[in-house]
Amino acid sequence: MKVNYIQHLYWRAGFGILPNQLHALAKKKKEEVIDGLFENSKKTTPLKIDTAEIDSILSGETKISSENQKRLQQLSREKTIDLNVAWVNRLINPSELLREKMTLFWANVFVCEDNNVVYIQQFNNMLRQHALGNFKEFVNAVSKEAAMTKYLNTKQNKKQKPNENFARELMELFTLGEGHYTENDIKESAKAFTGYSHNFNGEFVFRRYTHDASIKTFFGKTGNFNGEDIIDIILEQKQCAKFICEKIYRYFVNDALNETHIKQMVDVFYKDYNIETLMRFVFSSDWFYNPENIGTKIKSPIEFLVGLNVLVPVQFNNPRQLLYIQKQLGQTLLDPPNVAGWKGGKSWIDSNTIVLRLKLPSILLNDAYISKTELGESDDMMAVKKSAFKNTYGRKFKIQHDWETFNKNFKDVNVKDLQDYILLSELNPEASSYLNSLSKVSKKEYGIQLMSLPEYQMC
Amino acid sequence: MDRRKFLKQSSLASSLFFVPSFVKAFEQVASSSLGYKRLVIIQLSGGNDGLNTVIPFRNDLYYKERPTLGIPKNEVINLNDELGLHSSLMPLKRLYDNGYLSIINNVGYPNPVRSHFRSMDIWQTATDSNKFSQTGWLGRYLDNYGKQPYNVIEVDDTLSLALKGENINGIATQDAKSLFNLLRDPYFKNLGKHQNDAHLSEHNLGYLYKTMIEAQSSAKYIYETSKTVTSKKEYPNNKFGNQLKTTAQFINSGLETKVFYTSLSGFDTHVNQLNAQKRLLKIYAESVEAFVEDLKANNTFKDTLVLTFSEFGRRVNQNASVGTDHGTANNVFVIGDNLKKQGVYNNMASLSDLDDNGDLKFEIDFRTIYATVLNKWLVVDDSKILNRSFNQMNFI
Repeated sequence: MKVNYIQHLYWRAGFGILPNQLHALAKKKKEEVIDGLFENSKKTTPLKIDTAEIDSILSGETKISSENQKRLQQLSREKTIDLNVAWVNRLINPSELLREKMTLFWANVFVCEDNNVVYIQQFNNMLRQHALGNFKEFVNAVSKEAAMTKYLNTKQNKKQKPNENFARELMELFTLGEGHYTENDIKESAKAFTGYSHNFNGEFVFRRYTHDASIKTFFGKTGNFNGEDIIDIILEQKQCAKFICEKIYRYFVNDALNETHIKQMVDVFYKDYNIETLMRFVFSSDWFYNPENIGTKIKSPIEFLVGLNVLVPVQFNNPRQLLYIQKQLGQTLLDPPNVAGWKGGKSWIDSNTIVLRLKLPSILLNDAYISKTELGESDDMMAVKKSAFKNTYGRKFKIQHDWETFNKNFKDVNVKDLQDYILLSELNPEASSYLNSLSKVSKKEYGIQLMSLPEYQMC
Repeated sequence: MDRRKFLKQSSLASSLFFVPSFVKAFEQVASSSLGYKRLVIIQLSGGNDGLNTVIPFRNDLYYKERPTLGIPKNEVINLNDELGLHSSLMPLKRLYDNGYLSIINNVGYPNPVRSHFRSMDIWQTATDSNKFSQTGWLGRYLDNYGKQPYNVIEVDDTLSLALKGENINGIATQDAKSLFNLLRDPYFKNLGKHQNDAHLSEHNLGYLYKTMIEAQSSAKYIYETSKTVTSKKEYPNNKFGNQLKTTAQFINSGLETKVFYTSLSGFDTHVNQLNAQKRLLKIYAESVEAFVEDLKANNTFKDTLVLTFSEFGRRVNQNASVGTDHGTANNVFVIGDNLKKQGVYNNMASLSDLDDNGDLKFEIDFRTIYATVLNKWLVVDDSKILNRSFNQMNFI
């Protein structure tokens, strides 16, 4: 398989690829490389942090005292930071690469948040488990998660007083899209989801006495529908397959939709709603490797941060700083802006986020220094500038960067070829001529220059 | 531009200068001598319950639909025989008494959407509810009448759709100094040099370069201008209070920014609404009062108009969780000096004539408020920005 194609595939199905693995895969055929990606993601490794103290509060009593309630909230807040960090670390060192990328994708489709970390961890693992599975089982699992019944108020949705929140977002944001259902469909389907709730441990509970067992009319069908029936009827609409295929196309292929490609995808997906089959089709199709799809997407903040870590591993002594950076870049895992999630594409970039993205590699990895040494000159400023930064910010900003790993991984790469491994998009001509006027002081310094370019924001 | 303003401005300018190509430069000269009109937007995110904000305390239907959620008569701050404010809004009542507040009731749009995301999109893009737009109304204002991202500032860390234009975006900043320091490196200056339009118009990468270059010049300008002023006024110590404090500092320093965007979130009160809304309205009212006093002390209040909205109101009928579900029409607050119509602008919505969902039927399209503000306050062609012409109202 062509080197450039492998890099593209690994940026979309993962977070980039290092020279050794790249050259090993280059000896294989395209089918083998794609098979390997799926083979590697067969298993599911749940993401688990230590929640023992919370678990004991949740399982100890039938009613939680107000004192324990407070303790629970406090513990949950702290542990949510741990879970965020654990998730980022998982993305950096995944045992199942594609499954993890898909989990990240689905977390922005089935958007959910909760202040109970046990429920949100369980939700996150549910995403991971179904990420490459059957979409119908997936939607049903989502509808029955404790965190979701809380987030979209299904818990409060009762026969006497329906709450439409979940029914509306299920159709608008999870399956069909705005304009493909009526207000009456929402009212009727809200009735079908009455009774959905959970116990303290976060297990699904169906409360029969608050369920509305009356006859409902939904998408022209009439019957005593429950929540599962509603999901069946939604998935019968071809629009549902189209809606999901468009989301996948925007995320994995290109933020400009191509109707022909979408139609092919819908034909594959609508048959049995098998997500793995659909992803195989996408990665195997010729159009996936068209030039207009390579290096033309703007990385999400998490893709940017994780990709940076793949090149040069970084550890934060204070995990709150990692969260702070996510927030400033516009994407904090487990804390979506609203139920519609992040919009993605160009909307990641404005005056503020571009500034931070350009500065971050040098700040995190090189004491905020970017070499500007002209050809033939020696870099006299480097030591002074770096130590000045360390003296001012070193104590506030404690991070460990691992350039040894970088040097090991790039041992056999010539410094002048570094660009081919760090950037996926073509260099802008003016930037290229400026870079060519500078001295390539070392692989490390040249690497920082490359990572400080607008081009590095592309994948 | 109305006739009075036109005469005032042209008498100041030498007639020699009064040719079209100088109009823009002239406006900047005029701004320092005549006062530079600024608009401040406050977005209440999540859908504020307007019926418990401006309360129809004489209406039996209100208490019938909200048996445990209605605000009791004795807690309401009376405005007139029919309407009163929530008890957290005492500071707003003081503005009302001074004639600085106009309450526009029953604002919405045709075919209302009850999803936060979509309805907020509609308010921010000013499009019909069945149309989608990638640009916001203030972004298009910037496209047509602005030059630099700093002409429209969101006083926050991140930029909303409202401030995103076709060719140019506003800028978000709560801390002008740190933004400036981030881009001072000559490496980025050199990358931005010699860039030509052809490359800058390339789809995603060109957009990245263009945004970088605009950020460089904006950050420098905002920092160097605003650092000359610090606010001495005490504001409530919370995020929203700080946003308004920074806004006042920007305004008082003479920054050439026409629009400031701020927001307060948490209004999505499906469950146990009473305490949540009480707390939020208190934050809102106290911060706004401090802001108005700060501007008055610096003689900039007369040239500042403050507009407060939320993406929708909430259902008339309370739900089973002592909260309210997403609704439709809502009230909008306009705060400023010399309002043409002070106090309550129009009557409350009917609580008996509801739509099929049990929601209020709107009377005033929010875009007529935008059109009025654009036309009469910012003195630009509103139809160019809203892509259609709307009636003008007479609150300013």
